Amino acid sequence: MATLAAAAFTLSVVMGALAYFTTRHFLLSERQSTALRQAYANAALLRSALAADSPNVSSTVTGLGTGPSSVTVLEDQGVWYSSTLGIGRATLPKSLTETVGKGNVAVQTTHALGDPRLFVGVPLSSVGASTYLVTDLSDIEQTLRVLLAALAAAAAITALLGAAVGAAASRRVLKPVTDVSTAAVAISQGELSTRLPVGTADPDLRGLTQSFNAMADRLEERITRDARFTSDVSHELRSPLTTLAASLDVLDAHRGELDARGQQALDLLTGDVHRFQRLVADLLEIARSDADVGALSLDEVDVTELVTNSVSGAVRLVDGATMPAIEIEPSAAHLRLLIDKRRFGRVMSNLIENGQIYAGGVTDIVVRRDDPAAGVIITLTDEGPGIDPADRTKVFDRFYRGGVSGRRGSTEGSGLGLAIVDEHVRRHGGTVTVEDGHDGHGTSFVVRLPLDPEAVSL
Amino acid sequence: MRLSLEEEGWVVDEAGSGEQALDRFADATADLVLVDLMLPGMDGFECCRTLRRHAPVPIIMVTARNDTHDVVAGLEAGADDYVTKPFVPKELAARIRALLRRTRSDESEPSSIRFGEFELLPDEGVLRRSDGTEVHCTRTEFRLLCVLASSPNKVLSREALLERVWGYDYFGDSRLVDVHMRRLRTKVEDDPAMPTHLQTVRGMGYKLVP
Repeated sequence: MATLAAAAFTLSVVMGALAYFTTRHFLLSERQSTALRQAYANAALLRSALAADSPNVSSTVTGLGTGPSSVTVLEDQGVWYSSTLGIGRATLPKSLTETVGKGNVAVQTTHALGDPRLFVGVPLSSVGASTYLVTDLSDIEQTLRVLLAALAAAAAITALLGAAVGAAASRRVLKPVTDVSTAAVAISQGELSTRLPVGTADPDLRGLTQSFNAMADRLEERITRDARFTSDVSHELRSPLTTLAASLDVLDAHRGELDARGQQALDLLTGDVHRFQRLVADLLEIARSDADVGALSLDEVDVTELVTNSVSGAVRLVDGATMPAIEIEPSAAHLRLLIDKRRFGRVMSNLIENGQIYAGGVTDIVVRRDDPAAGVIITLTDEGPGIDPADRTKVFDRFYRGGVSGRRGSTEGSGLGLAIVDEHVRRHGGTVTVEDGHDGHGTSFVVRLPLDPEAVSL
Repeated sequence: MRLSLEEEGWVVDEAGSGEQALDRFADATADLVLVDLMLPGMDGFECCRTLRRHAPVPIIMVTARNDTHDVVAGLEAGADDYVTKPFVPKELAARIRALLRRTRSDESEPSSIRFGEFELLPDEGVLRRSDGTEVHCTRTEFRLLCVLASSPNKVLSREALLERVWGYDYFGDSRLVDVHMRRLRTKVEDDPAMPTHLQTVRGMGYKLVP
């Protein structure tokens, strides 16, 4: 678009300049030839006048001038005459008088007394004189100025028109491309059902639209199939696992009938089955998020109640966990927010479990209001070994367990806990980040949630 | 499932399909029925509705997924509560116990509560209209009504209702409350869409206005 405007502008400038200079040349040369003719005529007249016995020079000279715009100046053996007051020897350019003095005709255009003038000098060698014609070019200058203004205006208008036409044309041309790229961005952000409207009048674009839509169809199908597969597999695994667990419970009730080794085997089996169950449950949870199944089921709740209940529920579920100190700052004390309670419960229990496995337990939780955004900030802090800054975003990756090895035991997580936290928090339009704990050691997990997830656009 | 339930001390009778279940139920009444929605033959919802028409027996439905459609449809069809497959047997046992407990009323409740043209008798488990006709309610519906009526004009949150009627903790499913309130309204209100007694208080919960 810019190039088109520039081209239009350049073209009109060139055309304008051409017109201007052509006109100028024409006008000036016309004037010049007229002036020369006039000057020669004057010269002939003056020659014959001067050749006479008692010439009345000054009246002859005065008679030749037609006013301030056409002045005749005569030099007769050193005496200067002029047809008009104010214009005389002093007005003539020196180079002109020198040339004429050498016996040559000379023409010169220059400014004199504030106006552009044309000077024609004709030597009258036979009588020892020289005559000059001084014509005023102001009128030509005026004309040219008007012409220049008009051409400049024309150039500007042409440039603007060119730009406008260019913009409109390029917009029309680019629109389908813009549409496609907008749709592509929407799809990559998760709106898998985005499609281009098929009703374009332009047959060339129809091909593009159709192939784009076909591609989007296949992509959506592939993604939902993959997600459904994981979900279906996990779901299928849950049934036999539940039967296993239930049977083990029954066995456990009859522990007394087993010998020591039998009881040991039972405990190992129970532990592994429970761990397996948790892994499958976590997988299922993440797969359901991926497939976007299960929209948020939002309830309006009081923040204090929500956090207190979720945390106490979490502490009950996690082995070895103790109730952390919960501080609800006055700014957040009576806040109500829209939240999916079950998912939030999961977020809290996963964070507390994570704290238990890797850091000896979450020690305190602070809830405060998020001022610029309309939301709430919940910070869970522990006094464990801390998380390396390089790992702080990676911990939310699936199956990432960090480089800490040598940690065994039935409390080992599935590797999906924090990924699920991240997923649920983001579903609510919030964020979860890792920061330093108190005084620079330990870890703080900072969960930011908006008061109304539906007000947050993705 | 049978194994775990018997372990808890209950006697379990099974039916492989909806029709079989209705037959068996006619022969020997049960204290509680578990209905699997994915039954072959007769639709699980239909079975639920039919059972509900004949008797106020407690029904817990077993759903495969937690989808709102299934849960709400099941509750509307007459179920008192639901569990999702695969379920933890201990959880199911807790649900069953809670449901069976619902026959006994709270000591602190007055013996008769009036609202509009209705009289509620918690001890007898009866809801009567002013003209003497009885309104049939399931155990759960009755319990919900009693809890609301024992604190007239007071707003009770969904969480509080879930806890006092169903025995769920903070994370109970509020859909249970919502659907049961809808069911009660159809039985008690002249215009269920514009309730005069069983009112919703936005953002807070429900209350009974006598």
